[in-house]
Amino acid sequence: MPVFKTPFNGYSVKFSPFYETRIAVATAQNFGILGNGRLHVLDLSPTPNSPPISELAAYDTADGVYDVSWSESHDSLLVAAIADGSVKLYDIALPPSSNPIRSLHEHTREVQSTDYNPVRRDSFITSSWDDTIKLWTLDRPTSVRTFKEHAYCVYSAVWNPRHADVFASASGDCTVRIWDVREPSSTMIIPGHEFEILTCDWNKYDDCIIATASVDKSIKVWDVRNYRVPISVLNGHGYAVRKVKFSPHRRGLLMSCSYDMAVCLWDYMVEDALVGRYDHHTEFAVGVDMSVLVEGLLASTGWDELVYVWQHGTDLAINCFIGMSS
Amino acid sequence: MEKAVNRQRVLLHHLQPSSSSYQIRESATLSPSICAAGDLAAYQRTAAFGDDVVIVAAFRTAICKSKRGGFKDTPADDLLLPVLKAVIDKTNLNPSEVGDIVVGTVLAPGSLRAIECRMAAFYAGFPDTVPLRTVNRQCSSGLQAVADVAAAIKAGFYDIGIGAGLESMSIDSIGAVKSKVNPKVDLFQQARDCQLPMGITSENVAQRYGVTRQEQDHAAVESHRRAAAATASGKFKDEIIPVSTKIVDSKTGEEKPVTISVDDGIRPNANVSDLAKLRPAFKKDGSTTAGNASQVSDGAAAVLLMKRSVAIQKGLPILGVFRSFSAVGVDPAVMGIGPAVAIPAAVKSAGLELDDIDLFEVNEAFASQFVYCRKKLGLDPEKVNVNGGAIALGHPLGATGARCVATLLNEMKRRGKDCRFGVISMCIGSGMGAAAVFERGDLVDELCNAKTAATTKLLSKDSL
Repeated sequence: MPVFKTPFNGYSVKFSPFYETRIAVATAQNFGILGNGRLHVLDLSPTPNSPPISELAAYDTADGVYDVSWSESHDSLLVAAIADGSVKLYDIALPPSSNPIRSLHEHTREVQSTDYNPVRRDSFITSSWDDTIKLWTLDRPTSVRTFKEHAYCVYSAVWNPRHADVFASASGDCTVRIWDVREPSSTMIIPGHEFEILTCDWNKYDDCIIATASVDKSIKVWDVRNYRVPISVLNGHGYAVRKVKFSPHRRGLLMSCSYDMAVCLWDYMVEDALVGRYDHHTEFAVGVDMSVLVEGLLASTGWDELVYVWQHGTDLAINCFIGMSS
Repeated sequence: MEKAVNRQRVLLHHLQPSSSSYQIRESATLSPSICAAGDLAAYQRTAAFGDDVVIVAAFRTAICKSKRGGFKDTPADDLLLPVLKAVIDKTNLNPSEVGDIVVGTVLAPGSLRAIECRMAAFYAGFPDTVPLRTVNRQCSSGLQAVADVAAAIKAGFYDIGIGAGLESMSIDSIGAVKSKVNPKVDLFQQARDCQLPMGITSENVAQRYGVTRQEQDHAAVESHRRAAAATASGKFKDEIIPVSTKIVDSKTGEEKPVTISVDDGIRPNANVSDLAKLRPAFKKDGSTTAGNASQVSDGAAAVLLMKRSVAIQKGLPILGVFRSFSAVGVDPAVMGIGPAVAIPAAVKSAGLELDDIDLFEVNEAFASQFVYCRKKLGLDPEKVNVNGGAIALGHPLGATGARCVATLLNEMKRRGKDCRFGVISMCIGSGMGAAAVFERGDLVDELCNAKTAATTKLLSKDSL
């Protein structure tokens, strides 16, 4: 029954791309508004008799940790997005005293997201409330490039899973922008929602499909080649949708979490899109992830200071499926 | 500080959508309001704290008629043994981690019973390092035992404890021990009333508050009907621990080994016309009969409580959360009205309203007092004793409170999300009432928490 209590409010959870049992959790004190942060690295126990989740490492920070991403090139390397505007790199193979191995201060406001390039594996991007996105590589002490076009907080920036140079960013200025790092400015502007867009993610099977989610409570799925109308609109959340994530295993499946405290699974390609709804969080659900290594292994965290890891579709989860109860 | 205000502003705008919100950065006013998600959520949310006292297991023996039923030849400690063993075995808890065992017991001589219970703990496999004590608050002793353990955990005396109840009315009968009464009693009306047989207090309630014989018989029939239905549908299977014991044939003296796993006092075909024929048992013109009073029975129950943080750490399911307990005093002449006073007190101290309670277990000591309390509090009969009460199941005094915990929490578990709060209450001889409020265990635990995945476990597909 893997559930882990963090001392601070959860902000983000990510599965390691190298170890199926390892997850990183970003947390911040006092709902991320004021206080410290802590980055946890947790291990799930594969045997039923030991404690279901144990802590491998934890790093304290002077401000909240809003996001974390695993390096795609080194199994022990983590990038953390810190609310004080810094981006910190941690190597869990090193003793705590030598961590963080790097602290990059360039963003002038809170850093809300970080994403490691899954194709080229040498660089990562961060997005910040200072309206910019920055591109970094491991070997340079300063950012390679700053992308400044958005007019308000950039809540998330994610790499395209196929093209090493393409990424998308979602902003509170109600647009999603598609960028190519070889181009001087954004290659595409999608005015996707009437309200702030809090998150976006690329489909892992079709490099032209992108999902966006907004304060308007909806999730929209777009084809970037024809973005005047969304392919699909997924309604069901009762409040702003905080995070959306495409499944690495199934073409149509995506996972979302919201300020309505629910974690939902959707299949945008079928008519009854809502596949499952989990009501386990008792505060805003703000972080979700799907394991790349184990199909159906899901994780979520929220402001109730709990991290849940569970297998989608096990018998225990059945009660919470809408429409399957009767 | 300005940073914090700015952060609040950004986050608040996620909750208060207004179009073209990116211009709001300049707007000055910040107005946090009540989290409206409360209305939207499928159920009202409360924080789950690590130091909440939770129930992870609650079991009972079957309840059998004293002197005639399945446990008539079973020593009292052999009744306690199986339930103590069950709460440990079914949770895989190391018995040495238990901080204390508290057993509610009423009729047996105090010191003797305390020693028997301690011996029962040894039979059940507890090491000598685990202490045990008994508690006697008459009919609510079992509930008091659970409340005492909850209070001790809350106080930090220990993290894991067992509240239990035990009564063998085959061995110890009411009024068996006669003692000399202080002559001072003549000067104190209420002290004198403490000596009234319980049946007379029931007649007093019926008379003083106008509860008719018919109403009482109806309540008795309903109790039997519900208990029979619950037994037939196997609802008690989750809470009853089968007890292997012996029965001695009273004529031949022959001993026969038996396993008792079903309550034997329930009469599925009880009906109003048959009950109406019974003569009043306590008063010639009275209304309390053998048919509309609780049965005299043998039984035991045990409840395993611990801190929520410990339960989560051990990966144990959270059956319920102990929210509040109240014991109150009432006029001894009408002791049966206890629940009508105790329930509102306990509900209030849990910070709730009576309307918030979804399920009640109100002990049916007598139909008269049960009907009175239900009417007085305006409880929906469909929410009270849904699986029958002491009139059908029996009332082994010390065990009843702990028995109710097992019955209530299992029923709440079956009902799911719609059943969030439950109350257990009973009247207490010599004029008292006790009540406790329980909340259904975390919904979270039911759903998911990813039980570590099936056989392939967490190995990636590549490794297969």
